[in-house]
Amino acid sequence: MSGAGITLRGVSKRYGSTIALDGVDLDIRPGEVLGIAGPNGAGKSTLVRIIAGEERPDSGDLTFDGRPWSPATDWHAVAVVHQEPQLFPNLTVAENVMVGREGGGSGKPRLGAADAKVMDALGIGHLRGRLLADCSLATQQRTEIARAVAREAQVFLFDEPNSALTADESDELFREIHAIAAGGRIVLLVTHRLGDLVEYCKRVAIVRDGKVRTVLSGAALTEEAIARQLVTDVTAVSAAANTRAAASGHAATGALFSVRDWSHPKAFRGISMQGRAGEIIALMGVEGSGSRELIRSFAGLERCTGIMEIEGDRTAASLQKRTAYVPATRLLSLYSNFSVGENLLVRLGYPDIAGFGMALKVRKMRDMAQSAVKRFLIKTRTATQGIRSLSGGNQQKVAIAQALHCAPKLLLLEEPTRGVDIHSKAEIYRLLRDYADAGHTVIIFCTEVLEVYEAADIAYVVVGGALTRPLKVADYDHVETLATDITQLEQERRKEPKAA
Amino acid sequence: MSNTETQAQAPSPPTLSAGKTTLDIALRVGGLFLAIIVVAAVFIIIKPNVANLNMGGSVLRSMSSVAIMALGLTLVIVVGEIDLSFGAIYGLAINALAVMWIVHGVSVYLAIPLAVALGALVGVFNGVLVTRLKIPSFIVTLGTYNLLYGVTLWVSNTGTFNPAYPPPDRTVPDSELNFFVSLTRPVGSFHLSLEVVWMIVIAIIVGLLLHRSLFGFRLMAIGGNPEAARLARLPVTGYKIAAFVLCAVLASIAGVLDFSFIQTSQPNTGLSSTFPVFAAVIIGGASLTGGKGTVIGTLGGALLLAELQLGLSILSPGPHVQQIFLGAVTIGAVALDMFLTRLRKSRSS
Repeated sequence: MSGAGITLRGVSKRYGSTIALDGVDLDIRPGEVLGIAGPNGAGKSTLVRIIAGEERPDSGDLTFDGRPWSPATDWHAVAVVHQEPQLFPNLTVAENVMVGREGGGSGKPRLGAADAKVMDALGIGHLRGRLLADCSLATQQRTEIARAVAREAQVFLFDEPNSALTADESDELFREIHAIAAGGRIVLLVTHRLGDLVEYCKRVAIVRDGKVRTVLSGAALTEEAIARQLVTDVTAVSAAANTRAAASGHAATGALFSVRDWSHPKAFRGISMQGRAGEIIALMGVEGSGSRELIRSFAGLERCTGIMEIEGDRTAASLQKRTAYVPATRLLSLYSNFSVGENLLVRLGYPDIAGFGMALKVRKMRDMAQSAVKRFLIKTRTATQGIRSLSGGNQQKVAIAQALHCAPKLLLLEEPTRGVDIHSKAEIYRLLRDYADAGHTVIIFCTEVLEVYEAADIAYVVVGGALTRPLKVADYDHVETLATDITQLEQERRKEPKAA
Repeated sequence: MSNTETQAQAPSPPTLSAGKTTLDIALRVGGLFLAIIVVAAVFIIIKPNVANLNMGGSVLRSMSSVAIMALGLTLVIVVGEIDLSFGAIYGLAINALAVMWIVHGVSVYLAIPLAVALGALVGVFNGVLVTRLKIPSFIVTLGTYNLLYGVTLWVSNTGTFNPAYPPPDRTVPDSELNFFVSLTRPVGSFHLSLEVVWMIVIAIIVGLLLHRSLFGFRLMAIGGNPEAARLARLPVTGYKIAAFVLCAVLASIAGVLDFSFIQTSQPNTGLSSTFPVFAAVIIGGASLTGGKGTVIGTLGGALLLAELQLGLSILSPGPHVQQIFLGAVTIGAVALDMFLTRLRKSRSS
């Protein structure tokens, strides 16, 4: 079969005994945005890496406009835009666009007219002289796009491009993505956000178990349809919401945790809140609102004034023992030089994993690692294999399990399901719910309302360093109404300090 | 129910083959020891009369002070830092001991602990500057290296000392001299220096510390991901300082032992050991990015270097050959390690 665009026929790839791709057939046409969705570990990332030329397939054919094609050799035809731009932070925006195509001259390369035009079209022309490190993430991504457009890439691969952008920024990004596609180029979008797939893609290919299971388009392309294709049982997703409903009657006890007049030198001031045992509290807030600093401050990682109390205890040392914090990215919680088991136990110390004279209890550690793998539903062959061999969702479970092992009264998590597939998401929500039910308080920082809706009992919005009134998630029947209220709270509060 | 399904999907119940990492290390170390045997075989083929136990003893003796320093450096490298100053600490310990004992008449039983304590103090200095002032350890220890050499020149007044031949107006009690020399006296029928025994004892202690204690476990964690360790509130600062202190203490001990064996101090002694010791640690498989390193590997690295050095000096083709080999072996060992790691990974996955 020939025709314009990229055609994959029977593409397979195996890693040792694992079959990552098992005969993928896919047509990617120029001028449209093709979405790719799939649970982690289903072969989606391998497929993307093959199209990006980072891996070679074991068998199967790729053609580009009817001719046999190898992206690994024709790499400059393909541009990959990652969620974290792969650029040179020490160079200016314009230098980033030029780098690699400086020409043969011995002088300092100058910006060509064509490059300048590309940058203007992307709205970064006025920033050309600024150091990339001083630019926002959105600008950095545009720079990456400009770089690819300037070198006349034909294939654009967007890998979770908007996961760290604000709503406005991501709207604009998608406008650019559409403009690129309209120019007759091939555009692929990989994302976990079902809403984006439905809104911005013409067709969505679902990858599961190493194959393209189906390609949804037209009226068949709905969030529900994708979700149903992604997980074998859709019930897993809504299970979390149901358990919340059951548990909400449980929180009649007094406060387990409270802060009063809690202030940070820069990020927030005079915050008072409390949490009961069994509660999952969500904090929301845009970048710079102080919400991230707030959750970190509860873990003792930011210097703050005010009173914080857990079960009547106020001293810094005992507060530290009663809290545990899980950072937003797994890069900040996992140790790539350690095995799965070592990663699970790394936060423990005397007397859990070490006895007299700090000697490690090797056998006990082995047993603990094994039971943690079972308890936290971590999909791994052995507890001794390297942590990097796990899928993203399972790595995230390890990161959370690490903190749970400290048995904190107050568990603090930043974006607990970032970059995680639906199935692992449901399992993580269940873990958190079980932990809260066992008499602890859980606070999560969320960027998505859906996460608040599915996981939390109470939601606070942080705006300009202050808390809004709490919202009871159980009062909402639909995620949309919760989203409306949260947006409203955000705007109300934002007006006040500006007026003052 | 999602729980049961997940477990059904898992390829097999998670059994823990502790053998996997052990096998990994065995393969890595196996390659190194294979190299040691091959090098020995080559020397024996070229010059059959080197194959005797006395020669073996000499190799072990000459590796011992490098190995003791390398063990300390391994701790610093595992925690993700660099120490360039241990050679200068070694020299300072020797000269401080010589001056205190031989010139000022401080009893050797007090002077040795004082010299080691001085080393520990330098370790604290390095550690505090790195952790508190956040100056990169490469720069801090490059500074201490030069600084200590200056202090050593000053303290020793650029002189050389030998306890058996003290300066004209000083005396060293015979009992103290005998004690000091006996620290590294030859024992057994093969006249193996006691320094080798010290090395083995220290290796066992450091091995237990690094591979079988909470200290080592956390050292590996901090070296593997210092930011994660900080967020998990592991004692990053204290452990880094401890690594620098242990490295400095071991360098001082190596200095004291070598002084006992050689019995002559020189103001610039130890400075040239910096790169051979680094080479031993790197050949032993430690990673400069931190979080990786073993005691057995470091010992193997030191053994391979000592063997090459002694073998080449016996064949005596000239000092240039030793240097060229040192360089080639360092690069070759790391290249081989990376190749084997890639091979292992592609096989296991």
